[in-house]
Amino acid sequence: MPTLISLKDGVYAAAENVFADVGDEEAIPAAGPVILSLARFQAEGDALLGAGRSVGVRIQPDEAVEDLAYDLPRLALVALVFPRYADGRAYTSARLLRQRLGFRGEVRAVGDVLRMQAGFMVRCGFDSFVPADGSTPEQWAHAAGRFRHVYQRGADARAPVFEERS
Amino acid sequence: MRAVTANRLIDGEVVFWRQGAWIERFADAQLFAPDDAAGEAAVEAALKQTTVVVEPYLIDVVEAPGGWAPVSYRERLRALGPTNEPTHGKQAEGGASVDALRAAAGAARSTGRVDLIRRK
Amino acid sequence: MYRYDVIDREFLADRSAEFRENVTRRLAGEITEDQFKPLRLMNGLYLQLHAYMLRVAIPYGSLDSRQMRGLAAIARDYDKGYGHFTTRQNIQFNWVRLGQAPDILDALAAVDMHAIQTSGNCIRNVTADPYAGATAEEVDDPRVWSELIRQWSTLHPEFSYLPRKFKIAVTAAPKDRTAARVHDIGLVLRRGRDGGLGFEVIVGGGQGRTPYVGPTIAEHLPAGRLLSYLEAILRVYNRHGRRDNKFKARIKILVAALGAEEFKRQVDEEWSRIDGALADAPDTELARIRGAFTPLAFETLPARSEAFEAARAADPAFARFVRNNVKAHKKPGYAIVEISLKAPGQTPGDASAEQMEVVADLAERYGLDDIRVTHEQNLVLPHVKLDDLPTVFAALRTAGLGTPNIGLISDIIACPGLDYCALANARAIPIAQSIARRFEDQDRAELIGELKIKISGCINACGHHHVGNIGILGVDKKGEEFYQLSLGGSGQEDASIGKILGPGMNAEQVPDAIDALVDTYLAIRQGDERFLDTVRRVGFAPFKEAVYADAH
Repeated sequence: MPTLISLKDGVYAAAENVFADVGDEEAIPAAGPVILSLARFQAEGDALLGAGRSVGVRIQPDEAVEDLAYDLPRLALVALVFPRYADGRAYTSARLLRQRLGFRGEVRAVGDVLRMQAGFMVRCGFDSFVPADGSTPEQWAHAAGRFRHVYQRGADARAPVFEERS
Repeated sequence: MRAVTANRLIDGEVVFWRQGAWIERFADAQLFAPDDAAGEAAVEAALKQTTVVVEPYLIDVVEAPGGWAPVSYRERLRALGPTNEPTHGKQAEGGASVDALRAAAGAARSTGRVDLIRRK
Repeated sequence: MYRYDVIDREFLADRSAEFRENVTRRLAGEITEDQFKPLRLMNGLYLQLHAYMLRVAIPYGSLDSRQMRGLAAIARDYDKGYGHFTTRQNIQFNWVRLGQAPDILDALAAVDMHAIQTSGNCIRNVTADPYAGATAEEVDDPRVWSELIRQWSTLHPEFSYLPRKFKIAVTAAPKDRTAARVHDIGLVLRRGRDGGLGFEVIVGGGQGRTPYVGPTIAEHLPAGRLLSYLEAILRVYNRHGRRDNKFKARIKILVAALGAEEFKRQVDEEWSRIDGALADAPDTELARIRGAFTPLAFETLPARSEAFEAARAADPAFARFVRNNVKAHKKPGYAIVEISLKAPGQTPGDASAEQMEVVADLAERYGLDDIRVTHEQNLVLPHVKLDDLPTVFAALRTAGLGTPNIGLISDIIACPGLDYCALANARAIPIAQSIARRFEDQDRAELIGELKIKISGCINACGHHHVGNIGILGVDKKGEEFYQLSLGGSGQEDASIGKILGPGMNAEQVPDAIDALVDTYLAIRQGDERFLDTVRRVGFAPFKEAVYADAH
C-alpha cells in the first residue's frame, strides 16, 4: 500500500487512507468513504451523498474541474490524476479548485507523483499526496520546503517576493 | 561487426566496452560478430551498471582502409570529437587510429542528387 | 543591469543546494537516470555527444563585466577555455562533467547567474532587444518587463510542466531584433494614442518542423495587465495544448488548430475570470524593478566627436568597422557597438575565456559596465563614447573580435549541429565556416549588403533556418549529411517563413550554391534592394535556375 502524506497546518505526516478508490467496473462498497470517477459520480453521486456517505471524485487531466462546481461543497475530496509526472494539467485543476471554485476539502495528488514535484504541488493547493517514488513525509517536507522565497502568488498562503520586499 | 558504446555517467565521456571494462578509445573496443549474442549480453550487463554509464547501445562497425570504423557519421564523430575543434576530444591524441577514423567514409557516402554549376 | 537583492541570492543558493543533492543521489545510485534526467534538464544540463553540456541563462541577454568574467572563469576552470553564445542569448559550455556541475552552479550563483529553466517544458529564459536602454527607437526599456516576466515565471507552480517548452520575446522598438513573431509569445511594446504603454501580443509563432509567423491576439494590452494576460494564455495552453505527440505540442499547433480568433476568445474568457488585483504585478514592484536597474551615468557630450571623425578618416579598417558594427545611440556622443563572434573560419557564437575578459574589461572601462548578447550570436557594448571608439576597436581587433561583418553574409547563425548535439542529423558549424571563408572579401560582402544566412543541423531549427534570407537545413540521408536550401525567410518585423528552393546537396556544394544565389541577386537587384527584397519581388525562378541549371 503506497504511503499517503497529508499536509495540515504546515506539517507533513503519514496518514491513513480511509477512502476506497473505486474503479468504474467495481461495485461500490456498502459503507465507508469512496472515490469515484467523474462519470460515475455524475451518475451515482447524489444517491451516495444523500445516504450520508463521504464522497471524493477522481479527475483525469482532460476533465474540467469546473464540471464539479455545484457539487464541491458536498465533496470531501478531489483526487487529481497525474498519468505521467510530465503531464502538468492537474496543477491548473488544483489552482482552479482552490482559487476560483473555493474548494476547501482535500485535494489529493495521485498517479506518477514524484518528490521533485512537491513544491509545485503544494503551491497549487494540493494537501495530500500519494508518492509513486516511495518518499517519506520527511523527504516530502524537505523537497516542498526547499525554497525560502517564491516569486509569484500561488494557491498557498506564501507571500511572493514582491510582498516580502515591500 | 558491432561494438558497445555509452557515455560515462560522471563526466559524459564516450566509452566503449572491452571485456567488461569501459575504455575511451574506439580502437580498443571489443568487436562482436553480427550474430554473436555476446554483444547483446554485454549491453544487458552494461545496463545494470547504472552508476557507471548512461544509455549503453550497440553500434555497427565496418572495415575501412585504416582499420575498423563505425558505419554512421554520428558514431564516427563520437569516436573522434567535434570537427570544428580538431584538438578537442578523443582526436586530440592523433595517430594512425584517429587518421583512420577520419578517413573512413560511411557505408552510404553520397555525392549528392544534383550537380551544381561551378561558376567563375 | 538588474541588481540582485538578498532574496534573489538566497533563491539561487537554495536552487544550487537542491541540484547538488540531486547529483549526489544520482551518483550514489539512489535515483535512476530516468528520474534524474528531468532534474538535470531543469538545470540546463544535457548529455550531448561527447560530454555534458550546461546551458546558462543570460536573462534577456544582459550581463555586466563581473558576470562576463565569471563566465570566462567557468570556461577556463571547467571547460576547454571557451563558451558558445546561443540564438536565445544564452551561453553553453560543451565539456562539462556531471561531478563538477554543482560547483559550476555555485560559481554562477556567486555572480548572480543560474541555469534555471534553460531546458524542460517550462517558460524559458526571456529574449529581449539587445539594444534595450541604448536605442532611440524604443518607447520603454524592455528589460524591465523581461525581468518582471523572469521573476513571475521562475519555478512557476502551475506552468512548469507545460506540454512543451515555452519561449517569450520582448521588444519595445519597431525594428525587431528578437524574432518576436516566431516565438511562442512575442510582446511588442508601443505607446497608444492616449499615450499609455501597451503590448501587441503575438502568440503561436515558432520554428521547428511546423514553422509559423504568429498571429496577433491583442493589439494593445495595457502594459500593467501583462502578467494576468500571460497567465490566461499559459492556462489555456496548459489545459488544451497537445500532450500525445511532442512534435505537435507547442502552442503554435494549438493556435493553428483552433484558429487565432477562437484561441483569442478562449484567452479573453479565461482572462475575464482572473482577478487582476492578485495576478498582475503591483505598480510598486514594477517601480522597484525599474529602480533596480543601475542608472547609467551618461555624460553630456556633443553629437560630433573629433577624435572619432579623425580616426574614421585616417583608418579605413576603422571606417569599415564603424559602417557595419556601430549603431546609433539615443544619447549624443555615444554609440552602440556590436562585436562579431563570426570571424571567418570561427565557430559562430564561440568566444574564448580571454575574449570574454577583453569584452568585460572594455565594458567596464568604456561601456558603462553593460554587455549584451544578441540572438544572432554576437555581443554588444551598448554604450560606448564616440571618443573611445578607436581605442575600443583597436582592443577588439587585437583580441580577434574586430570582424566588421554585422548583418552581412558571413554573419551566420548556426546551431551546434552534429559536432556536439545529440539531436542533430548533420553538422552546421563547418557549413557556416566554409560559407564565411568563401565570402571573406569584405568589399564583396558589403557590396552584397544585408543577407542573413541561418543554418540548423536538424528540423528542430535551433539555427533559425526557417527565417534565414537563405536558410540551410542539415538532414540525414542514409547515414550521411545532406543540406536543403530555403529562401525568403525573415525573423524581423517583416517576418516570413522561407520556402525550400529545390533538392538537397552535399556539404561541398553548399558554398557554390550560395555563390550562385548571390551572383543572381547582384545581377538583378534594383536600387538598394536587399537580397530578401529581391527574392520577394522576383520569386524563386532565377535563383533556382542559377543553382540547379545542370540538373535540368
